[in-house]
Amino acid sequence: MVQFTQVQQYPESVLAERAGYFPVPGAHLYTVLHAVEAPLARVLLIGSFASERHTSYRPWLQWGRYLAARRIEVLRFDYRGVGESTGVFKEIGFHSWMDDVERLSAWLRKREGDAPLILHGLEMGGILAAKAFHDGEADALVLWSAPVSANKVLRSTLQRWIGPQQLLKQEEDRRPPSHYFRLLEEGQSVEVDGYEWTPQLWSESLSFELPDTMVPPNDPAVSYRRPVRIVQLGKSAAPLVLGGLLNGFEESKDFSWLFAPNYEWIASSLHIPLGAA
Amino acid sequence: MILDKLETRQLITLGADGILVRGTYHDVQRNTTESTRAAKKIGVLFLNPLSTPRTLIGDSAVYWASSFAAQGYPSLRIDMPGLGDSYGEVAKDLVTFINNGGFAAVVASKVKEFSERFGLAGVVIYGHCAGATTAVYAASTCKECKGLIITNPYFNAANMLTPKLSPGMVDWARRTTVGEVLRAAYARIREARKKRGNGNLPGNANVHLIAHWKQLVSSGLPILIFKSGEPAALGSSKLRAGAFDYLEHITSLAGHKSRLSLRMIEGTNHSFADRLGRAAIREHAEVWLHKHFPDEAITLARDSIFCELSR
Repeated sequence: MVQFTQVQQYPESVLAERAGYFPVPGAHLYTVLHAVEAPLARVLLIGSFASERHTSYRPWLQWGRYLAARRIEVLRFDYRGVGESTGVFKEIGFHSWMDDVERLSAWLRKREGDAPLILHGLEMGGILAAKAFHDGEADALVLWSAPVSANKVLRSTLQRWIGPQQLLKQEEDRRPPSHYFRLLEEGQSVEVDGYEWTPQLWSESLSFELPDTMVPPNDPAVSYRRPVRIVQLGKSAAPLVLGGLLNGFEESKDFSWLFAPNYEWIASSLHIPLGAA
Repeated sequence: MILDKLETRQLITLGADGILVRGTYHDVQRNTTESTRAAKKIGVLFLNPLSTPRTLIGDSAVYWASSFAAQGYPSLRIDMPGLGDSYGEVAKDLVTFINNGGFAAVVASKVKEFSERFGLAGVVIYGHCAGATTAVYAASTCKECKGLIITNPYFNAANMLTPKLSPGMVDWARRTTVGEVLRAAYARIREARKKRGNGNLPGNANVHLIAHWKQLVSSGLPILIFKSGEPAALGSSKLRAGAFDYLEHITSLAGHKSRLSLRMIEGTNHSFADRLGRAAIREHAEVWLHKHFPDEAITLARDSIFCELSR
């Protein structure tokens, strides 16, 4: 029988990972600091929406480790009411998650040792990152598959959720996505992937959008005079982003084709030397 | 400013055996009576299945671990090496690796460490789907394991289920709901057509796993199994009727010592993460825990069971 065997040697950057709870009003955020001595830069990773957390988790963490191994300090976290963070999901919305981002970016900026701060948002986290960057929170911005609005995230999440649910129900109990959209608009809650979506969350999502300056044909790098990189990930990036096909063996998938050029962009944009892994 | 513990939660790393495993510990609530707190307790160890982190889908494991801890059963959720927050290499064909018991030794070691670190009387292992497979293998090799709670276990050897498909496709079928339906339908067709080998088992059975099952069930280890309803898309056709009932098979082998309980939860999904599934698991598991592991009645009976297994 093949058994998991002991890791011969843990990389220093992995041993330096520090998990903790960061206090915010009414909750504690689960954070993992990929601590680095004399960092060349710092990155706050702002992840995807609650339902996509478990699928994107491993490649997102690998990206954090990839950067930390190259002397870029990383802080990743779970939103209030999601994952390892405390708080009640149904009592929380986009403005609270925006507050999470602002508090953590302020904390990261105050860390000892002067280093530029990069906000990196994935999917819904892209909207939060862009808004914080718009408000002057950081020196550079990276967006991976950021939607134009939070409502688009909720719609696509619900549409993806509904298909498999239909298979579990008798034909007479099956409802199209529009049925659930209507319930939310009429003030009822809907449970999706184990999370209770409230009418307030839905209503908030309608006006929670990327800043106009980030939306084509505008060029955010010109508007902000700070480095901005916007990448739309395709099917090959699954399971980091949904919508792509799962081809099996997701745990061992190699993302260096995505990590390397993004790291090189960070290094060149902020004029930091390319570090060795 | 960043804390490593809250009133009832603590972020920990288990690494006594040199393999670092990250986890979240849920301590018993402060309102537990002093006399109860003084007694050695049974802990619950949650395993993560495949790539899903230790919160499980919809953060359902956080809910269950908090609930069990509030009932007096300290709980720990861990990420297997290479998954979630735990560092390590991951086998390319993870499903087959797990089906062959690849994580058993590390889990057995972590059960022991969990028990020693928190002064527990023993540990109940909680595993979902692929996590259930690991739980069964680990339980049969560790004396600190006093019980099992498993949800939607499976008994097929994935590589034998669909030999004409690529291993990647088999992996996909194992982890998606659509794949679940296709897999179930295909398994039934194959079972119906295939001559049964290994006694009465279908040819695609994971014989090694079933042998461990039989050993555990007949040892008298308390085991609670939850099954969600079959996808309605399978209908009530001959496909359902043709399915081999592994649980019935295991129960039939158990003998008089068996303490196996089976709960079927209709109306929930594979993950049990929805409101109905969560509540059902919480309710039944808590009753089961109190029945088999009342605070004052924890004995070392499991040690004698382990000795019997080792013979």
